[in-house]
Amino acid sequence: MRKGSSVAVEWRVLVHVLLLALVIASLLPLYNVVIASLKSADEFVSHPFSLPKSPTGENFLYAGIDGRLFSFVINSLILVPIGLVFYLAVCISAGYAFGKMRFGAKRPLFLLVLFLTIFPQLLLATQVFKLVSLLHLTNTGPGVILSWVAYFSPFGTYIMTTYFTDMPYELVEAARMDGASHVRILASVMTPLAMPMIATIAIIGFQSMWNELPFSLLILQNQGSRTLTLGIAMMRGEYGLGVPRTSAALVIAMVVPLVMFLIFQRRITLGVTAGAIKG
Amino acid sequence: MRNRGLENDGMTPYLFLAPLLVLLVAFILYPVVMNIVASFTDWKGYGAMKWTGLSNYRTMIGDQAFWISITNTAILVCYIPLSTVVTVFVAALLREGLRGWQAYRAIFYIPNLLGPVIIGVVFSIYLRDDGALNLVLRTVGGPTVRFLTSPAIAINTVGLVQVVWVHLGFGLIYFLAAMNGIEQGVYEAAIIDGAGFFRTLWSVTVPSIRFAIEFWVVFNFIEVFARMFSFIYTLTRGGPGYGTFTLEYGIFSQGFEKFRVGYSSAWSVVLFFFCAVISVAQIRLMRRSAG
Repeated sequence: MRKGSSVAVEWRVLVHVLLLALVIASLLPLYNVVIASLKSADEFVSHPFSLPKSPTGENFLYAGIDGRLFSFVINSLILVPIGLVFYLAVCISAGYAFGKMRFGAKRPLFLLVLFLTIFPQLLLATQVFKLVSLLHLTNTGPGVILSWVAYFSPFGTYIMTTYFTDMPYELVEAARMDGASHVRILASVMTPLAMPMIATIAIIGFQSMWNELPFSLLILQNQGSRTLTLGIAMMRGEYGLGVPRTSAALVIAMVVPLVMFLIFQRRITLGVTAGAIKG
Repeated sequence: MRNRGLENDGMTPYLFLAPLLVLLVAFILYPVVMNIVASFTDWKGYGAMKWTGLSNYRTMIGDQAFWISITNTAILVCYIPLSTVVTVFVAALLREGLRGWQAYRAIFYIPNLLGPVIIGVVFSIYLRDDGALNLVLRTVGGPTVRFLTSPAIAINTVGLVQVVWVHLGFGLIYFLAAMNGIEQGVYEAAIIDGAGFFRTLWSVTVPSIRFAIEFWVVFNFIEVFARMFSFIYTLTRGGPGYGTFTLEYGIFSQGFEKFRVGYSSAWSVVLFFFCAVISVAQIRLMRRSAG
């Protein structure tokens, strides 16, 4: 228990009741999906909200194989890590330049990066689509990866820049005296020291790309090339799947983010505060 | 960003920046500029552009869907104060060191983790007229609420679920970190003065994290204007009617469903104007925090 508490003991009970009510209200929509995914179509029609009497895995097989969810999972598991490698390379290299190098246009260029960080994807979508078609990359992995890296890098660069800026300049100076090039300094001195923050932006980048919809929606129009997120988004419009099967697809889609959370919870928590300014 | 020292690094920094700058120019800067150009043409997304002057803007001013989108965005903005009050309040409760506060924080973060697409589809099932929440409401003798099928209600559903509920988990982590930076002595002094929870919250916690709250509000504006599409697309597809159209959704609908790219670009220019203002506000906050 922390010091400096101004809540009396009897109030703590009330607060717990309030918070538990909020937790139940929060988990109810997810509970609803999980139980529906375990029911046969008949049982769902007759008893939509009770616990499943005879749980069935049939919906998962249907969503995964006939609904092609499993192949969408594989697509995402290939595209997102590759995108992440490029994203990290771009952010680390640009972050180092802004944080630790000296050049005339630094200030205006950095302001430009900050300015461009928040523009909505729909504002860019038409031209991004045109550019990707021009490069003959529609329906391909490289097409969507390029658009992801371009869109998400400014924010990652901003975080890396603040981190590199705060590192002591003597590190660079000493290495420069020894005749090391900037490439060498970045690769063998700065990158190892920046690993905690690199891990944090890796998580942020992974989540951003994994959950990305607008660009994938426009660029990946072949059913076979869909990402998991796109596959889930399209299901809503495709009739005849029904609630139990749609629910099963949702449960499948929740697996990767939840596993990520269990493994990287501390890192994800840090990621939330990394992008924000210090209170 | 300022470093002491004398030498300039010449052209090398531009090589380090080249990948980022090339991508930025091609995928963000050029699209923004071309949008402005296209808004004065009848471009269909392919083929030649014919200059049509202000005609797209005239059409837009007379377009009911445009004004509904603006109104809907304004309604979502109205949920920002609610989101801020609820989030700061719950964070202050958790700060008291209740048993299991980390578990609460983790559970409330789940919607952020799953992302707007999964959450959108989950709620499109949960909030149906014959869905689970309406069953609960009917069981306790309440009415059937048309969360998704009434245009007047649906946009408020978006506000409550996305702006208030989803952001709660994100904000808790953010505000708890900010509150952690407050000196314990200040709280102890407040207790000695006999200040209760609400008094402490109002006169110690809130002033101490004022900066974080300002940043949070700007973040929420970004979310409302620039990050709402994925959730609306999966929850309602913009409907019923124009019920959950926002500027973002309108651009999608005009540009990619009706192939009126020139016309949708006029909407984009309006959205660009709003986002530019928000972006400048954010940069000013960041620079103030950097000192």
